[in-house]
Amino acid sequence: MVNAELAPGRRFPDLCLPDHVGNERRLSDLAGGDPLLLHFYRGWWCPKEQAYFRKLVRLQDEAEVAYSRFVSVSVDPPGVAAAFRAGLGARWTFLSDEGRTWVHELGLLETTDRTHEPYVPTVFVLEPSLCIHAVFNGYWFWGRPTNEELRQAFRQITRSIRPDWEVPGP
Amino acid sequence: MSRCWIALTSTPPPDATAVAAITWAGRAESSAGDVDDGFLAAWEAKDEPVTGAIKIDPRAIDPDGAAAWASLVLAPRSAWLLFDDVAVSHAIRAVLAAPPVDVVSTFVTGDDRFVGAITAVHDDDPTRLRDDPFAAIFPATLVRVGPGLLGTTPAPVGPVIQRYGGANPWPWDRFGEQRRAHG
Repeated sequence: MVNAELAPGRRFPDLCLPDHVGNERRLSDLAGGDPLLLHFYRGWWCPKEQAYFRKLVRLQDEAEVAYSRFVSVSVDPPGVAAAFRAGLGARWTFLSDEGRTWVHELGLLETTDRTHEPYVPTVFVLEPSLCIHAVFNGYWFWGRPTNEELRQAFRQITRSIRPDWEVPGP
Repeated sequence: MSRCWIALTSTPPPDATAVAAITWAGRAESSAGDVDDGFLAAWEAKDEPVTGAIKIDPRAIDPDGAAAWASLVLAPRSAWLLFDDVAVSHAIRAVLAAPPVDVVSTFVTGDDRFVGAITAVHDDDPTRLRDDPFAAIFPATLVRVGPGLLGTTPAPVGPVIQRYGGANPWPWDRFGEQRRAHG
């Protein structure tokens, strides 16, 4: 991991950033009471991100009925993020760290790319409290979680937070 | 458990939590509605406050809210769809994919009946409401809503299209008691 502080069991910072239409959004509000996939990506231009987003778009067809939320974050401006989101067919919130405030704060700057100064591709699965359940370093593409790994993480969190996971009796 | 209800009325109900005058700006040809200019009133109440009241996301209601343009989709009298109908799911997906508006809520009766939706903007440009996805389900009417009723619904995070509890309207996004964002 680029930032060892962002490890399972730690609480993820409650960052606040504009969404893809420019509204300020706070992470804890976005999570609400649900498990949250928090996905940092390089930018619209990266073929690896395009390929990974196609996986997430397939997963959203399950998440949309499973009370699990997605948030994707990059340094792209809101207008670019909105266009990218629309082109992908993604139906979740994109956040813009165009000012690169949180990329430094979180220690997730990809220092090897001096052209874009993007986020290191990183995927977190968070509990509703923003406690980190799992983290995946996606600098190399195969480090990113498969949809099956994400399903397993969502299942474990959901089991722990829903008091009626075991079917209520008559 | 307190819920938020909304109804069209001919006079301002004295017991309403919030109320605003409405002016009908355009009626869909297929509309079966029979209410002329009047009032749109909201209540926080456990049970249906007046006959015909329908449930709305409480965050859509704000007694201090500014005037708005609204696309009001209402099922013809006695008509409804199951909330889990694929047409409703498809409309919700379209809402999530589109640029967010200031106010959006489905309308629900009983535990599982979809009977319409409201989509609104607080600016002076109602053209953003032309593509209301819910208008493909039931007739839509463009109305001017006076101040004192509509607040701002946080843009749904996505991709969840399900209701949080059977009797609740979407996009209310928490299990547990509903409360308005204001007041």
